Amino acid sequence: MAGRPRVEPPPARPGADAVAQSPLAHQPELLQAFLHLYGTLWSHGVVDHSSKEVARIRNARITDCGY
Amino acid sequence: MTWLPMTGTGTTEFARVFGLRPNLYEDYRAFVSVFRSLQPVNPVVLELCRLRVKQLLGEDVALHIADGARDANGLGREKLNVLERWREAKVFSAAERACLELTEKFVLNPHGITDEDAATVRAHFSDEETVAVLEALAIFDGFTRFRLILGIDPKEREE
Repeated sequence: MAGRPRVEPPPARPGADAVAQSPLAHQPELLQAFLHLYGTLWSHGVVDHSSKEVARIRNARITDCGY
Repeated sequence: MTWLPMTGTGTTEFARVFGLRPNLYEDYRAFVSVFRSLQPVNPVVLELCRLRVKQLLGEDVALHIADGARDANGLGREKLNVLERWREAKVFSAAERACLELTEKFVLNPHGITDEDAATVRAHFSDEETVAVLEALAIFDGFTRFRLILGIDPKEREE
């Protein structure tokens, strides 16, 4: 894993969360559309949260992602 | 043919399967629509990346290559025909080669990307474009796997 971001994030807006302060913020319209999709996936789905979280963590472990 | 019931509406297997979760499918389509309307990166480069992802994941891309040649301005059949052997081919620009190298690492070995690889990408693309390319790769990789695992007809044209 790179020790530092290879693309620096743009200056953060006040109150922005971690994702909105990440390099993804270089494409704000895409980020908003993605967050809407992700929000639906997590909060308006038919699979229980614990199962989704297990899948998310397993995916992160397999790819050695720190999130 | 997919092993899931196709009870959703739509003209493709992908739409009918993804349509099993209508709210999620709607948001997915909105996301893709934003991407298409913004065109944050040269569409020829993105089409090369999309087709290379499919090749790397073992999908037959012959039909998609025909679509690519028809749809993406400037993406000629010459490039498409040698895409699988792009490293040896002489027809790709430096920017296209940088993105194809990034594509290989994204799909096969994301930890294998080196500072040199990153610098090569950064030499051709702005921060905004680099983020857009990586988001596009995430869509191409994720939804190619989605199609393959669900057994969605590989010959159908993508929306």
